[in-house]
Amino acid sequence: MRCFAFHLMPWDRLPADFNEKYESAWTWLPNSIYEPRHGHELYNRYLDELVLADELGFDGVCVNEHHQNAYGTMPSPNLMGAILARQTKRAKIAVIGNALPLYNPPTRVAEEFAMIDVISGGRLIAGLVVGGGPEYYSFTVNPTNARAMFMEAMDLVLRAWSEPGPFEHYGEFWKLKYVNPWPRPIQQPHPTVWIPGAGSKETIDLVAARRFGYMGIPYFHMDFFRKNFASFRESCQQHGYRASPYQLGWLCPIYVAETDEQAWAEYGSHLFYFAHSLLKGLVVLPPGYTSPRSIAGINKALGQFLSTVKTREEIERGGYAIVGSAATVRDKLKDYAGTLGVGNLLGLFQLGTLPADLTQKSMRLFASEVMPALQAFEPDPTMPAGSELALPPRSPSATPA
Amino acid sequence: MPETRFVQVGDRKIQLTVGGQGPPLLYLHSAGGETDWFPFVERLAERHTVYLPAHPGFALSTGLESIRDIYDYAWHYEDLLATLGLDRVPIVGLSLGAWLACELAILRPNRVERLVLVNAAGLRVPGAPMAELFIDDLAKLKQLLFFDQSSPGIELLMPSGLDDPRILMWLRAREATARVGWNPYLHNPRLPQHLHRIGCPALVLWGRQDRLIPLAHGEFYASRLPHARLEIIEQCGHMPPFEKPAEFAAAIHRFLASEGGG
Repeated sequence: MRCFAFHLMPWDRLPADFNEKYESAWTWLPNSIYEPRHGHELYNRYLDELVLADELGFDGVCVNEHHQNAYGTMPSPNLMGAILARQTKRAKIAVIGNALPLYNPPTRVAEEFAMIDVISGGRLIAGLVVGGGPEYYSFTVNPTNARAMFMEAMDLVLRAWSEPGPFEHYGEFWKLKYVNPWPRPIQQPHPTVWIPGAGSKETIDLVAARRFGYMGIPYFHMDFFRKNFASFRESCQQHGYRASPYQLGWLCPIYVAETDEQAWAEYGSHLFYFAHSLLKGLVVLPPGYTSPRSIAGINKALGQFLSTVKTREEIERGGYAIVGSAATVRDKLKDYAGTLGVGNLLGLFQLGTLPADLTQKSMRLFASEVMPALQAFEPDPTMPAGSELALPPRSPSATPA
Repeated sequence: MPETRFVQVGDRKIQLTVGGQGPPLLYLHSAGGETDWFPFVERLAERHTVYLPAHPGFALSTGLESIRDIYDYAWHYEDLLATLGLDRVPIVGLSLGAWLACELAILRPNRVERLVLVNAAGLRVPGAPMAELFIDDLAKLKQLLFFDQSSPGIELLMPSGLDDPRILMWLRAREATARVGWNPYLHNPRLPQHLHRIGCPALVLWGRQDRLIPLAHGEFYASRLPHARLEIIEQCGHMPPFEKPAEFAAAIHRFLASEGGG
């Protein structure tokens, strides 16, 4: 399987009374809390951590887009992607993704992604996303149009990459007389496309039908991923093909130290800062963002969300984060990757307040003692889909040295 | 007894409840989607044949796909009234419904005999911002919508939580409201310049302690509408039909029975 290093670039200095004073780390959290001088150090440090991942032999690095929040201070992941295109040498650069309805016109995404692909020599993985619920508050974009705008924009971006311009686009949301973006991407007919999803049937079917990659949105109980990945495989089957494990990605916080006990001692407070402060207000479902039935369903599933988890035991049982010695982390990741049938591990190595020295130590231990076994591990391409899930999940061939 | 049926309006199937006795009255509901035969409707129905339709996308009415903004809703009511053969009716609208009634009165003045705007949306008044309606927290919404937090109207109007079977209709109503009211937020920036066209008698009725749409909006409507009067209901929030049903109905009966709308 392939190993990626994912970075959220979080804000690591919330006021001590944050939890009493603020209901959310999103949208309305006053930006007076942001300190630009400290931000200068953070951005440069975080970029160094992704450059380190490239040097350590990770298969790729990942950045993503969020606005007006402390959880991830990357309103423009394309700026980060552009820097990484220059500062990394061989890793894939996965920008997962650009929230298409927030770009006007969305051909902007076709242009900027093509720039990153060209600068990096074809190393871009293009993430196309609807955008999170909070983004629709932050940008005042009508959430009842979110899906329709996303679909129109996605088709437009793909067409802009693969069809000779200039051509006209007359859609419901955008009317463009001359679509003819320069540059064109190196990857043909277009860069690899990944789409993150939180389990909605609409997204799963879309990704399956187009044969794109489906990235499971993190911080839910392991059962949630199992169910969603199985339903993805089922959807691929209905579209007449068998899903490749490399169409699936699993995003997960990871921390490696010398022993299990040391790992928890070093990591626990940073993980809980993330879970109880930065996640606060992440799952907001504006009206029409998805169907009333899905909104009601997700609101109930929040009982199994990382932000509600209080103890190490709950974290370990639910697989919300993989923490421990190299041996523990390696065994758990192989085991979970096997049962999930997933070919891309997107590890979140820095998280919350985790400082630079511990982040780098964990990444180095991971790279030297965990990653080789994972990169040699070939996920079972015959994983069962949907209703067959109850069958024993692993075949002998899926257990290499 | 009131009767609920479905009316075909173009491609849309519209849920319509009609009941009561007397001349017709059209009630346009709020973002809350109040389309049941609530006690306040019963009071209006003592003197009127009340028409209580659900806007497209609310309750069991279909057709939200072709609604993009408040004008689409206004044109929809032009079509519905034509379908029902109601040439000219008095309209009572609450909040979103009151905004909609204004837009209809501007597009089709001859359809609207008299206008009652209750805690109306539709305006942006500098210095008197509207609060955020699009939140999930039902306890907070309750505080936003009602002056008296023990009002029996709360239970009538709102689901109590995620396990209340009414939650799906409530979420559906929020979606339809967002469709026309997300951006610009619950208003039409071009509405003020057209208010002078509404020549019919109008009553602007307002719960004084409205925390969602402050009274200043009512004062603005009353000052810009050519034949309007502002009447305030004391100790009442955004939802007078639920919080003060008797005062609400009495004010409307007085207005509709008066000569020339005085």
